[in-house]
Amino acid sequence: MWWTGCVPWPRAEGERSETVAGKPVRPVNAIDQTRRMLSLVTYLRERPGARVEDVARAFGISEDELVSDLDVLPMCGTSFRGGDLLDIDTDGERIWWRNPAALGAETAEPLRIAADEATALLVAARAVSTLPGLRESDRQALLRATAKVEAASGEAAGASSRLSVTFESEGGVFADVDRAISERRRLWIRYYSPARDEVTEREIDPIRLVSVGHTYVEAWCRRSEARRTFRLDRVAEIKILDEPSAPPEIELRDLSEGLVQPAAEDPEVVVEVGPGGRWVAEYYPHDSADELADGGLRITLRTPDPASLRRLALRLGRDGRIVSPAELADSARQAAREALAAYDGVEVQGAHPVSGGQ
Amino acid sequence: MAIAKAERLMNLALCLLGTRRPLSKRELRESIEAYLEAGSDDSFNRMFERDKDDLRELGLVIETVENLDGEVGYLARRDSNRLPPITLDAEEAAALGLAAKVWQQARLAGAASGALQKLRAAGLPEDVDPYEAHGALEPRIPVHEAAFEPLMLACRDRRPVVFDYRKATAARPEPRHVEPWALECWRGHWYLAGWDRDRGAERVFRLSRITGKVRSRSGRFTVEVPDVVTVRETVASWAGETADRSALIRLRTGAGYPLRAKATSVRELGDGWDELEIPYGHGLDAWLVEFGPDVVVLEPAELRADVVDRLRAVAKG
Repeated sequence: MWWTGCVPWPRAEGERSETVAGKPVRPVNAIDQTRRMLSLVTYLRERPGARVEDVARAFGISEDELVSDLDVLPMCGTSFRGGDLLDIDTDGERIWWRNPAALGAETAEPLRIAADEATALLVAARAVSTLPGLRESDRQALLRATAKVEAASGEAAGASSRLSVTFESEGGVFADVDRAISERRRLWIRYYSPARDEVTEREIDPIRLVSVGHTYVEAWCRRSEARRTFRLDRVAEIKILDEPSAPPEIELRDLSEGLVQPAAEDPEVVVEVGPGGRWVAEYYPHDSADELADGGLRITLRTPDPASLRRLALRLGRDGRIVSPAELADSARQAAREALAAYDGVEVQGAHPVSGGQ
Repeated sequence: MAIAKAERLMNLALCLLGTRRPLSKRELRESIEAYLEAGSDDSFNRMFERDKDDLRELGLVIETVENLDGEVGYLARRDSNRLPPITLDAEEAAALGLAAKVWQQARLAGAASGALQKLRAAGLPEDVDPYEAHGALEPRIPVHEAAFEPLMLACRDRRPVVFDYRKATAARPEPRHVEPWALECWRGHWYLAGWDRDRGAERVFRLSRITGKVRSRSGRFTVEVPDVVTVRETVASWAGETADRSALIRLRTGAGYPLRAKATSVRELGDGWDELEIPYGHGLDAWLVEFGPDVVVLEPAELRADVVDRLRAVAKG
C-alpha cells in the first residue's frame, strides 16, 4: 500500500520527449574481450569467409568492436616465435582464417560456461519467464532453453540461486498492450495520474513495453500530441481499438539512466526533511541532497509541475516541509486545513466520535 | 607500446588450452611476447598470477601440476573445459537472446553476452532476431547501487562483509557485519538477505541504504545458509502489504482511484461522497493524508487520530 501511494518516478506520465543519441559506449574490458575472442576463434573456424556484418550480429557487438578483435587475433597463438600466430584477416567485408591448423582441433572447441556467465544468463532467463505478458510459446521456449543451459553449465549453475529478480506487471493490461503493438492498433485507456489524483481517458499509439522495476508502455499520446510513458499498474481500463496505430517516427531513448530524467528548464523545488523523511531522496531523482544538522536532508529537485508535489508535502507531515516555491507550501497547508475542517464536521454530527479530536 | 591486456590473456589461454603436458612458467614466458617484455621477474610473476585469476574468472579451468623435479606446470585440460553437447532450436535461441539483454549492470551484461557467445560458437541458431521474435517487450533489470557487485561476489564466494547501513529513519549510518546469502530485486530495488552477526539474526537490507564501501572480512560463515531465503515476504511486510484489519473512509466522488481499486466495498452516499471499506495495514495513515480534503477517515478511531495528527502537522507548516 505504501508503495502504491508513493510515486517513485514523479514524471512517468508527464515526461518530455528527449533523446540520447546512439548507444551507450561500452568500455573495453579485457576479460570480456578475451572471452569473446576465444568464442570467435571457434566460430570462425567453421565459417571460412564469414561476413563481418553477420558475425557482429551473431556476437551482439558492433562491427567496430569486431574489427578491433580481428586486429588483436593475428598477434595471438601458442607461440610468437614458431610461426604459430593466427593468420586471420579481413577486407572489411569478409573474414578469412588462412591457417586454422595453427590451433589443434581440440583447442578451438566451444568452452564450458563459467559460474558468472551461468548466473547472468539463468537469473535473467528466469526473471523474463515470469513476465505475465510473455507469449505462452515464448515462455515455453525460454523454459526449455533455461533447462538445457542449466544442464550444460553443470556445477557452474549453482551460484545462480543466490540472485533473483521479479518483474512487476499487470497481466491483463500487459497482454492487451503487447497485442496492440504487434497488430499495430490504437489503444483507448483510462489512466490514473497520482499528481492530479484523477483518471483521464486518452487514445494512445503504443511503441514499446519497458520493464524497469515496474512495467511501462511508451506511446504516442493522441491527446497531448507527444511521447508519453504510462505505468501499467495505473491503467484503470483498456480497450484495443479498430483504428491502426500510427505513431510518428521518433528516436527511441536509451533508458539505462532511468525512465525519468528531469529537464534543465523545469522549475526547482526545495524540500527539507527530518530523518524520517530521508526516503524522499531515494524515490525522487534530485539535483542535490545536503545533510542537515538534525540528521535530515535539504533536497533540491526539478519537476515540470511543482503542484504535483502537494501529495508529497501532505505525506511528509512532521517529517518534512516544502521550503520553496512558497505557493506549493501554502497549497499543502491549505489542503490540510480543509481536510481538518471535514473532521470537525463529522464530529459535530456525532456519528463518529474522534479520539484525540480538536 | 605496451601490449594490450586482452592480447596477453588470449595468448596465455591459447597456450594453456593447446598443450597436452603442463607448461612451466619459464616456458610460458618464452612463448608469450608480453611476458618477455615484462622486465623483472617480480613484475612478470605478478602479471602472470593476475592473468591466471582473470582467465579463471571467465571460466577456464587451469590445473597446477608439479613434475618429478619439483617444477610447477600449468595446463587447461580439454575435457574439463569443453562445453557439454547442447542443442537449442531457433525459438529457444531467440528467447535466450532476449534474456541476455536485460542486465543493466556491466559485469553481468558482459557475462550474459559471454555465455551467449560461447553457445553461438557451439552452433546456437542465429537466424532469428530476438526483438523480432518477442515483439514489443523490453525488460530491463536496473542496478544502480554501487554495493551490488561486491555483494554479489561475496554471496558467490561466501565471504563475510562489513558495510555502513543507514536505516530508513536513522540519521547516521552504522556498521553492520553480515554473512551475505542472497540478493533479490523487487519492484526495481535490490535487497540483500543475510545473517547479521551483531544482532545474531537473519536480516534484510536495502542496497540503496548502504553508504560507503562494502569490505570483505576474513574467515568463513558461522551460520549455515538456508535453502530458501525469503526476501520478498520481509519487504512486503515493511511496505504494509500485510493488512490484517480494515478501515472505513469517506471519499469524494471521482477522487482516489487507487483507494477504490483496493476497496472491498463501495457505497454511494450522495452529496458528492462515497463510503469505502479498505484494507488497513502499516503506512495507511500516510497514504490517506496524500488525498487531503478528499478523504475523511471514519473508523477505526486509532487511524482517525493518526491522520488528524499528520494533517495538523502539515497545517501548522
